[in-house]
Amino acid sequence: MNVVCDRAALVEALSLAGSVVPSRTTAPVLGCLALTAEDGLLTVASTNAEVGISIGVPQVEVKEAGKALVPADKLNQITRACEDSTIALERDKSVLHVRSEDAHFKIFGFDPQEFPGVREFAESGEIFECTGGTLRRLIGRTLFATAVENSRFAISGILVEKRGKNLRFVATDGRRLAVAQGGVKGGVEEQTFILPSKPLQILNKLVDDPDVTVQIAQEDSYAIFKVGEGADAAVLSTNLVEGQFPPFEDVIPKDQDKRVRFESTELSSAVRRAALLTNEESKGVRMDFSSDGLMLSSRAPEMGEAEIQVELKSYEGDPIEIGFNPAYLTEALRVIDEKEIVIELKAPNKPGVMKLGNEFTYVVMPVSLT
Amino acid sequence: MTIKQLPQDLVNRIAAGEVVERPANVVKELVENALDAGARRIEVTSEGGGRELLRVTDDGRGIPREELLLALSPHATSKIASLEDLESVATMGFRGEALASIASVSMLRLRSRVPGSEEAWMVRADGGPPGAVEPAAGPPGTSVEIRSLFFNTPARRKFLKTDPTEQARISEVVQTIAMANPACAFTLTLGTRRTLELPAVDDPRRRLVALLGAELADELIEVDFEGAGATIWGLAGTPEIARPTAKRQRIFLNGRPIQDKAIQHALREAYRGLVVPGRHPTVVLFIELDPRLVDVNVHPTKTEVRFRDSGAIHQAVRHALRAALKGRDLVPTLELETGSAASATTAAPSSTAGDRPSPSAMPPGLAPGPVRDFGPTDRARPVEYQRLAEDLARPVAPADALVPGIRRDHRILQVHAKYLLVEDPDGVLVVDQHALHERVLFEELVERIRSAPLERQALLMPDVIEVDEAAIEALELLAELVGRIGFDARPIGPRSISISGVPSFLLSRNVEPGPFLAELLGFGVEQGRADDPEALLSEVLDMMACKAAVKAGDRLGDAELANLLARREAVERSSNCPHGRPTSLRIPLAELDRRFGRSS
Repeated sequence: MNVVCDRAALVEALSLAGSVVPSRTTAPVLGCLALTAEDGLLTVASTNAEVGISIGVPQVEVKEAGKALVPADKLNQITRACEDSTIALERDKSVLHVRSEDAHFKIFGFDPQEFPGVREFAESGEIFECTGGTLRRLIGRTLFATAVENSRFAISGILVEKRGKNLRFVATDGRRLAVAQGGVKGGVEEQTFILPSKPLQILNKLVDDPDVTVQIAQEDSYAIFKVGEGADAAVLSTNLVEGQFPPFEDVIPKDQDKRVRFESTELSSAVRRAALLTNEESKGVRMDFSSDGLMLSSRAPEMGEAEIQVELKSYEGDPIEIGFNPAYLTEALRVIDEKEIVIELKAPNKPGVMKLGNEFTYVVMPVSLT
Repeated sequence: MTIKQLPQDLVNRIAAGEVVERPANVVKELVENALDAGARRIEVTSEGGGRELLRVTDDGRGIPREELLLALSPHATSKIASLEDLESVATMGFRGEALASIASVSMLRLRSRVPGSEEAWMVRADGGPPGAVEPAAGPPGTSVEIRSLFFNTPARRKFLKTDPTEQARISEVVQTIAMANPACAFTLTLGTRRTLELPAVDDPRRRLVALLGAELADELIEVDFEGAGATIWGLAGTPEIARPTAKRQRIFLNGRPIQDKAIQHALREAYRGLVVPGRHPTVVLFIELDPRLVDVNVHPTKTEVRFRDSGAIHQAVRHALRAALKGRDLVPTLELETGSAASATTAAPSSTAGDRPSPSAMPPGLAPGPVRDFGPTDRARPVEYQRLAEDLARPVAPADALVPGIRRDHRILQVHAKYLLVEDPDGVLVVDQHALHERVLFEELVERIRSAPLERQALLMPDVIEVDEAAIEALELLAELVGRIGFDARPIGPRSISISGVPSFLLSRNVEPGPFLAELLGFGVEQGRADDPEALLSEVLDMMACKAAVKAGDRLGDAELANLLARREAVERSSNCPHGRPTSLRIPLAELDRRFGRSS
């Protein structure tokens, strides 16, 4: 293998593929990136027990087709630290020569045959597709609400639910629930599976072009995403999360009788400021809603107290005092890229619901006020 | 007052019982009599473990010739005369049975001379009624000599332990009494050995230190408290000098040594979290209480008392000790070499090895800064050392930052992802990150729960946990406590609990609430301590703090480190984790100087 690559494109591909590589591994081969040069394309691939990824880099000149298998961290560091616009990679037996204008690195690699390989996207079968922008929005609006560390394995992932032309992503950590909806084309009428959250973070980076086409196929134990259509398409496959996702429809309240309309940036800023005076054992920010407006208050016994007045666009219903973990509000407000947001409430011990038309529903449970 | 026969109703009122079980009891009665006689010097002599000879000599007001015989008859006393007096007993002995009882089981010689009188008189009793009063020679005061104790009661004599054991008990009795009576000089001679020689002192602290050991002087914190109608004074040992037995715990009520469960419990509570279970702090407390608020006539040996309001006393004792301990930096110090000449120095400013004045005692600006002696300053040093030197030479923080604690601008070094090293005014502080964090969280939780239940985060869907039947029972029993710490949980079957709200605190510390509750209930079952909810709450908060605290092995960021150490100063008793293990150790600067051969 002998190629000359555009360094920026290579660095991007290597770092995305590198993010799949497990940081600590017993088998050195699993800490490696597989490079394949052929037909004017360099493909970077890596895999761990759960996720496989391959990314095409077209900005190369393939002088000699071939393969290499080298430790991900070193190759990443070297290409990143280099400042030239191009970099040459040449394999000679078990050594990969990395050459830039003023430097020559030799990295000891492994036999490319030892790479376990990654799944390829099968163009046949039931495939549905959406735009990069849609997928990115669905991921962004749900990923933050997954349970980071939870023994209930199913809710550490994101539920993907396809119903005709609608695709819904659902995430919860037991205290709040985020449901995002977008449009898709093709595929079967009904499809449901749970994706782990780690590969979704990587996928989120792969779909930075909002217009790119993303094709999605699901098999029994895995799902596979193809981002882009040309030779340089990236393919990411991931195992599915086994288990039952909780019946989330049941927890979306239907009988809220108080309705508040906000400027989302203003609310976000106010909540963030009120959160400054909370602490680990009392997280809650008190929210007093009435037709006069919203008064946010918080108190941290050793530090002090905060009061912040927020103007409402409108308020319907009786006044209510309710407490929320401010992080649960700001995290949702951050991913809503709309100016105005609606919050529906019922009682201090009942959930609040944030809504953005049909596109986004966010249910958040209150904290007790003392 | 003169000696006279007690009225019969009073005699009946006083519970019957044995006063004299062993030589130490005899010593106690005699020494107390001597004190009641206004003695300024008391000499106690014992031979053969007290079996052969016991002699107590005082320089008190003596017994007039005509009362000597009466002194040896039962229920004769000069100390109370009526039932009303019994209500407000202020003297040590009052039951009027000691001398008579002792006389009936020994060869007793009672010699006395009233000061100012020309002659001394003596009476003997050899296991029976006293003989005639005879003239004798002796200094003013009274001397009681007892030989062949229990000579006519072989069963009791057999019951006695070995000489050393009996001697130790005698010694303990004398020491205990001496603690409470610093104005009186004491000597104790066991066999041929003078084991105790205590001059009269004005300062009760000096007497206690003399008895507890001068080497502990720096480890004894003065307790001074008034409240609940009681005055409490005494010395409380630092956790460092806690011992495996409770021998160095003495409680005095109105000058009389007592054993009281409520007070012992208060003592344990005050030291909760400071002393590892199984060790007992050194505590000597003198409680002064209106005699009418306590009944001392519960048991012949008068060690048991009954308080009118034992809850109030409990609280007063706990507060007194807590206040004293709180005011003291309890960080234990580390000596790098065992058996060194340096005595056990402590962390407190008052106790630094003496080579430098305590920081808090010095005017601001004069307070000693960190070491600056780096040798010749003009020599070029490697950059790191230059930086270090600059760091160390920075202006000293204002005096208020020099109270035992850590200067905020100091760098904190985490080593082995387990310990933190930081400079403090007295040396280098080594902090156990888990123990400290646990302590900090614990105190914060205790503080928080005092004002309101802990915050509860409601769950979207109840979390159902499977437990055993005993845990369900525990949940019902501990429902209030479980609610106070922020859980909303109820049984939904013989072995299932549904949790619909969890403490925010656990969530923010990434502790899974379900398993935590299961463990808590298991613990509740084990302890079965629904009768002491406060103690159980304390245990549970401790459990929460322990689970939530950073563990050994957790790498901490700079901000986390700074935050942790800042909170260390904010909470009381940060020197020990709730389990009683120390959170910090100090390597004193003086110790380092010594080790590096740098005379300071």
